[in-house]
Amino acid sequence: MFELDVRSRKPIYEQLVERLKELIISEILKTDEQLPSVRTLAQQLTINPNTIQKAYRELETQGYIYSIKGRGSFVSPPSLHIQSEKLEKVKSELNKLMSEALYLGMNAGDLINMVNNIEIASKGGLEDDQNQ
Amino acid sequence: MIKISNVRKEFQEIEAIENVSIHVNKGSIYGLLGSNGAGKTTLLKMIAGIYEQSEGSILIDGRVVYENPSLKQEIIIIQDTPFFIPQYTLKQMGKVYRSFYPNWSEERFKQLAADFNLDVTKKIHKFSKGIQRQAAFILALSAQPSVLILDEPMDGLDPVMRKKVKSLIFEDVADREMSVLISSHNLKEVEDICDHVGILHKGKMILERDLDDLKSDTHKIQLAFKGEIPQQLISSLDIVHQEKRGSIFICIVKGLEEELLTKIQAYHPVILDILPLTLEEIFLYEMEDAGYAVQNILD
Repeated sequence: MFELDVRSRKPIYEQLVERLKELIISEILKTDEQLPSVRTLAQQLTINPNTIQKAYRELETQGYIYSIKGRGSFVSPPSLHIQSEKLEKVKSELNKLMSEALYLGMNAGDLINMVNNIEIASKGGLEDDQNQ
Repeated sequence: MIKISNVRKEFQEIEAIENVSIHVNKGSIYGLLGSNGAGKTTLLKMIAGIYEQSEGSILIDGRVVYENPSLKQEIIIIQDTPFFIPQYTLKQMGKVYRSFYPNWSEERFKQLAADFNLDVTKKIHKFSKGIQRQAAFILALSAQPSVLILDEPMDGLDPVMRKKVKSLIFEDVADREMSVLISSHNLKEVEDICDHVGILHKGKMILERDLDDLKSDTHKIQLAFKGEIPQQLISSLDIVHQEKRGSIFICIVKGLEEELLTKIQAYHPVILDILPLTLEEIFLYEMEDAGYAVQNILD
């Protein structure tokens, strides 16, 4: 399903939580879809089943998945929680890109203009644009 | 669950283990690390009931191990040099194991022998070192123990076999909640396999923790500032180790990543890198703390 980077300094448990979150946020794993069992995943990725269990527990407390006793873990319906996480990610990317743009010589005005143009385009034009 | 409390072991004049306590939860994979001669093998042999402790208690699911055959039927130890009866074939060893271990599965034995592609009718001592180790794993896993003790388990196994053995162990941990104790110097391997680690040094435990917790609360930080390093910042951090390389300040700091980030960013560093530590680095710094470090020859 996915590979983990065993050479990375990041704990495997964190990598696992992040990967699964990504799959859920990008809707590759859909609502109510069953996640692979701890046993299967341990076999596929050759990692400690306790680590997988811990990652699943963490995802459950964060609201990404729910589990049914004896049947396994499933993806929760998208919640505000997930939305806000996505938003945070976009914000931090924008932050990085805008800092770079400013460094390369754009100024705040240029950026604001750009944003305005994008907003207009995505809303399908100005409300009274026939007058212009 | 394995519970070791205040165990001491002495051999005549030598005190091999002084006051060690360990907990291994059921279904957990525990990595026992330590310097050479720290007492790892002695400790493992006591847990397997081969040695009797001089003081303290060793309980597995509340029962004493030493001289307790019914409990020993559930424990298997693979020592650094696996033992086989001289001249025996794998099939004959299988029969011996079957008579000792009531959980023995003939079906699993056949399956594993086929998986590892081993000839069960060939004398084991004619096999190479690595294949003898594979044979030891086949026997151990067919006996389906509830506690598996491995002393330097992966020595002599090639990468393909390591992966196979690992996934077989994981299968048993997931299916039967087998508890595993591993001693090793291969820290990368321990890091990949274990969920708990303990570090033994000169017969004492200097650390015992959940591996993920251990890794998430110690970080390596690289810092650089336009001017001097603000002393206020340095004194506000819980620094374990620090060094300066040119204008870059490198330190090992205890604390959670996010808290460290906000604390440091307030001083506007030009360079700021936070890295989780590897188990090897944790081991080296802990050993340094315990007064066991490599002297820098160039000093």
